[in-house]
Order: sequence, then C-alpha cells, then structure tokens
Amino acid sequence: MYKMRVATCLLLAALAGVRDAHAGALEDGAERYRPYLIESVASALAGARALQERAAASDLPGAKKAWLSARAGWERSEVFTAGFVPELDVQIDAWPNADSGFHAIEARLFGAGSTDVAADVAGLVQHLNDLHGKLKDIKLTPQGLLDGTVRLTYEVGESKADGGESRISGTSLDDMRNNIAGIDFAYHTIFSAALNTVDGKLDEMVSNRIEQLEAIVATPYLPHVDIADLRRTSEELVVALQGASAKLGLQRPTLEAQAR
Amino acid sequence: MTSLHLRRGALFSGLAVLVLLLGQAVAFPVDGDKTVLPVSTELNEDALDKPREVFQSERTGRKSYLVNLGDLAFNSPGLLGPVARQGGVSCGTCHVNGANNSKFFMPKMSSRPGTFDTTGPLFNPKANNLAFDPVRIPSLRGARYLAPYGADGRFASLRDFVHNVITNEFAGPEPSPATLDAIVAYIQDIDFLPNPSLGPAGRLAGKISEAERRGEALFSKPFPHDPSLSCSGCHVPSSGFVDHQQHDIGSGGLFKTPTLRNADFNAPYFHDGRFDDFNQVVDYFDRTFQLGLSTQDKGDLVAYLTAVGDGTQPYERDGAGATLKEINDFSSVLAIAVTAGDKDTVALAVDTIGRELRELTEQYPDRKNTSVSGGEEHRVLARNSLKELVLTLRRIEMAVGAGRTSDATTELRNFRYLMAAAVPALLASAEPWSLFNQDVHDQHYAALRQVMQSKHVSH
Repeated sequence: MYKMRVATCLLLAALAGVRDAHAGALEDGAERYRPYLIESVASALAGARALQERAAASDLPGAKKAWLSARAGWERSEVFTAGFVPELDVQIDAWPNADSGFHAIEARLFGAGSTDVAADVAGLVQHLNDLHGKLKDIKLTPQGLLDGTVRLTYEVGESKADGGESRISGTSLDDMRNNIAGIDFAYHTIFSAALNTVDGKLDEMVSNRIEQLEAIVATPYLPHVDIADLRRTSEELVVALQGASAKLGLQRPTLEAQAR
Repeated sequence: MTSLHLRRGALFSGLAVLVLLLGQAVAFPVDGDKTVLPVSTELNEDALDKPREVFQSERTGRKSYLVNLGDLAFNSPGLLGPVARQGGVSCGTCHVNGANNSKFFMPKMSSRPGTFDTTGPLFNPKANNLAFDPVRIPSLRGARYLAPYGADGRFASLRDFVHNVITNEFAGPEPSPATLDAIVAYIQDIDFLPNPSLGPAGRLAGKISEAERRGEALFSKPFPHDPSLSCSGCHVPSSGFVDHQQHDIGSGGLFKTPTLRNADFNAPYFHDGRFDDFNQVVDYFDRTFQLGLSTQDKGDLVAYLTAVGDGTQPYERDGAGATLKEINDFSSVLAIAVTAGDKDTVALAVDTIGRELRELTEQYPDRKNTSVSGGEEHRVLARNSLKELVLTLRRIEMAVGAGRTSDATTELRNFRYLMAAAVPALLASAEPWSLFNQDVHDQHYAALRQVMQSKHVSH
C-alpha cells in the first residue's frame, strides 16, 4: 500500500513537471500572441475611427471601405474575444439584430446605403477603444486561448449557404478567412511547439487541417466553398485540438463560453 | 365526440394550421449576392408545425434498418448533385416528413409556392429543357399504392422514378443499388394519415353530413354529356381514389390521376399546382365537362372531397423531441454500420445526423443573439451538449476510417449515453428560450427580417 502511494505521488509529481514545463512554454506563447492581438484590435479600432470620419463626411464608399477594414481586424481577433470577453462580443458583434455593433452599421451602410450611423459607430469606437486599452495588461491564459481557438474553429464549419453572417455586405467569406488566419496564428504561436514535443503526429495533423481550411476558403466566391468539406475539416480540427489539450496539460475545451 | 365532429375539428385544425403558417409567412432569409440558392428562396424550414409522418411498419412493429437507411439518405444533401449539396437541399426539403412542402418557393424554379421545375436550369443544366414548366410537389403518403410515378406517370416503377430524380433532376452521382433499395423502402413505408370517415371500398362511413352524402352520390354520377365518364371513374374510391392511368382533362396533356386521400393537405392542385382549393377544382371540371352543377352541387362535392381528403392530426408541433427521435432512428443505422466497418454508410450517417444536430443547435440562440433574453445558461448548456454530439460523431467516423473499430464502438456508446438522457434533459430545460417557443421564434425572425429589409432590393 505504501509503495502504491509513493508510486502515485511520483507519477503525479512527474505529470506536474510535464504540466509545468508545458505551462511555461504555453504562457510564453500566449505572450507572443499578445502583440498580434493588440495589432488586430488596433486595426479594427483604426478602421472604426476612419468609418466615423467618413460617415461624418457622408462619404458612403469611404465608410464602407473603413467598415471592411474594421471588420477584418475584429474577425482576426475572435480567438481571443470568443474566449475572454464574451460580453463585449455581444455589444460589438450582435447578430442577427440590427440594433448595435458591426451588423447594425452594415445594414445601414450596405443595405440602406446610408451614412447615418454616427451613434452606432460612436458606440463601436468606444467599445473597441476600451478593449484596446485593456489588452496590454489582460491575463492571456493558454486555456482561454485554446478554448477560443476551438470555439471559433467549430463556428467556421457552419454552413454559409444562406449568405452567412455578413450577407448584406457580402463579406462572409472574408470573415471566414480572417477567422482561420487568427486560428492559424494562435495555434502556431502558442501551442504547436509544445505539442510537437509530446506528439509530433498530432501537431502535424492540426497543422494539416488548418492548411486544409485555408485551402477551402481560398476560393474567390462564397457559394463555391465546399460546405461538406469545410464542416468535416473544421470538426476534425476541433477533435484534434481537444486531443491536444490533454497532452498539453490543459482542460478539454468546451464548445461554448461559460459552459465549463 | 362523433366522427363528424372529429372531421370538422380536423378540418378546422388543418385550416387553423394553414392560416397560422400563412400568417407567419417568413421567407427563410436566403439573401445577399453570395448565396448558393436564389435570393428569396423559401424553404419553410422555420415552420413550427411540421407534417406528421406515419409509417406502415410502426402500426404493428417497427421500422426496419432498410427504412431508416432510406430515411437517412432521403434527408441527405450528399445524395444529390453539387448545387443541392452546397445549398443543403435534400429530398426532404421538398417532401417534408414525406408530405409536400406547400410553402417551398424558389425563384426561376417555382411558378408559385408548392411547385418546382424538375427540368429547370439550377440543379442540372444538362436536363434543362428551356421551358418554365414547374409541377406540383407531391405528397409521398401512400405512394406504394399510387403507381405510376411522376406527374405524367411516365415511370411504372418507384425505383426508376427515384433514380431519375437523383441523377437527372438533381445531377447526383449514381446511387448504389443498396441506397436505391433503401429509399424505395422508406417511401413505401410512408402511410396515409388515417381517416376515420373512410370505410370499406372508400365509402364515407360513420356520421356524415347531408352535403357530404349528396357529394358522394354526385361523385359517382355519370357526366351528362359523356355518360362513360364520372369523377369516380378515375378516382376509384375502392382503389385509393386512383385508377393508375393518365388522362387528358384539358389541363395541357396527359397526367396521372392523383389520389384524393389526405388531399386536404396537398394543395396546390393539378399537375402544375394552378388551383388553390377544391372550389376551384370543382369549378374547372364543371366548366370543362359542362356538368351543369348548381351552387349546392358544387358545395356538396367540395364537402365530399374535404371528407375524403381528411386525415387525423396532419401536423405536429416541432420541437427537440421530434428531431431527437429521428436522430435516434438514424443512429440505429450508424450502429450497424460501425459494427460492419461500413465506411460509406458511417460517412452518410455522420454527415446527415451531424447536419441535423447543427441545425438543432441553432434553435437555441447564442449569446450574440440579443433578440432573445433569459435562460442564457440553459441555452449555453444545450448548445454545448449538441456540439459535443456532433464531435462525437466525427470521432466515430475518424475511428472507422482508420480501422479503429474499438474506439468507434466506445464513442458510439458515449453518443447513445448522451442521447438517452443528458441531452434531452438539457434541451428540455432550454426550450422556453429556444426558437421552438413561438414568441422567441417571432422575435428572432423579426430581427433577421429587420436586417434583410434594410436592403433596397425587394424580398
């Protein structure tokens, strides 16, 4: 009995050592992710400010262009937003409502062809500015970033046959590409090296599936995205990332924020 | 309650449902300039009342593996060609639960709701006849009694008809013989809704109204200008109200005799769906065949047709329970395929069930959907559980693909365990805040319409 206890303690100590080793590498990776995140949100903020200026000048083409730029930065940072600031996600990216955030402005600009968006854009700028101000100090946990990566990967696999979330502006395909770019960066910056040391094949599988997703959305036209292939690949990637979590000493990611 | 009261009740409830459906005529929001299906396509997928499906096998036993496999394939866009696959269109899109989808409308492919041009330009350009000639989407209830098949009855065999739909109308790949057999078995198992007013030989039974009784007599009365003809001469009451023949009734060619059983729920009428109701149908025959019907005669015939066309509980409220039951049926196919290492069937099942689970997930609005308030924690747990099921299925397919049967079996056991209690309980607790709740449903689609209506284009 005594021997069993000792063995158990040794095993736990060894596992803790593995976790500690991974934890250090993953936390370093999360810090390397921070500048990318700050840059993406800064890009979204700059786009929103330009949108504010162009809308005030009643420059519809300029306002649309600025909206697209702001949107791209936001979509690239969704790995983070999905895991860390879900409440802000509601204010900035509410859907299908046209009451606030990106899609309210999209409906006015691209749908009604109006630059009468001052109040909504002011709110967007404020929310993005608040978020940008927090990013320097916010604690970026590897667990939260893996959760966000997995949730976004699953979402990417949803059918866009009805035109997708940004159907009024016709930019749902851009949303997907920016989401996948964010997934790619997060995985390779934070998790890949650590996973490679314990399971090279799984790391290879994850990288392979990310490449496949990028290839699937490389088509220039949303209706040509192979829906079945997209779904299969996104789900296989989620399965692989769930498998990776245990090997990295992390909890298995949940598919919804607050579900843990 | 008398059968007459029951029938009136059924008719009233059927009409009420119809009014309800029309009242909430919300186009499925296919919109924008980057869609697979034409903008303003109406698939009626958001309807809260779905046609009730009755299986012959379940009267005394249970559905066979073959029937469940056919049902699975019937609801898989993967069975059809690339456009249908991309658009998420399956046989079940037009034939919801084996009945007709009277709200289905696709610009350039439909002349009116409930019709579809099987030789149109969208799904198989090679079969495009350059004529806009949509036909009514038929109900498949009782199809085993209703040969020949197709609006013009050109297929003697249901198997040939199904093959033609898949490969020619929808440009699908050549289906395996086993798949064809299964789809035919499924369609042949779809029964008519019971109608307590129909007795032996298709005669009205029970307590029926005077108008219905007079209508029944008129139905068999020879036409004044051609005594060799009568309504019942083609719609033979003792043979499911069909004669298995094609006739030219002046509507544009030879078309097969449609059944009148459950026809209350099969509008629009005629091969091209030109008529909305029995009144118009009776008027047409009166005019075309110079029947000389009085106003009362016409009313009596409509009363009779309505009695014959009735069915018990034609619609049932959609909810998580109905989808979970269907998924459990499909899962029985998956279980056998996993054991047999049948990769193709596993892939078909995982694709179809996973798709249904993803659609079910969307019935529980996520946190970004601010048109819905309350029950956030319940919705999160419901969505999370359904996503876990989707991923469990994917792990099953990956394991079978890699020859890891034991892992697949373990995952299948997990899937069934979750489906047995945990997931139904989570969905039930989230139901008040789901799109299965009429108020939540209306709020969600109102928000979606608000976004769509911001566009200049008309919808």
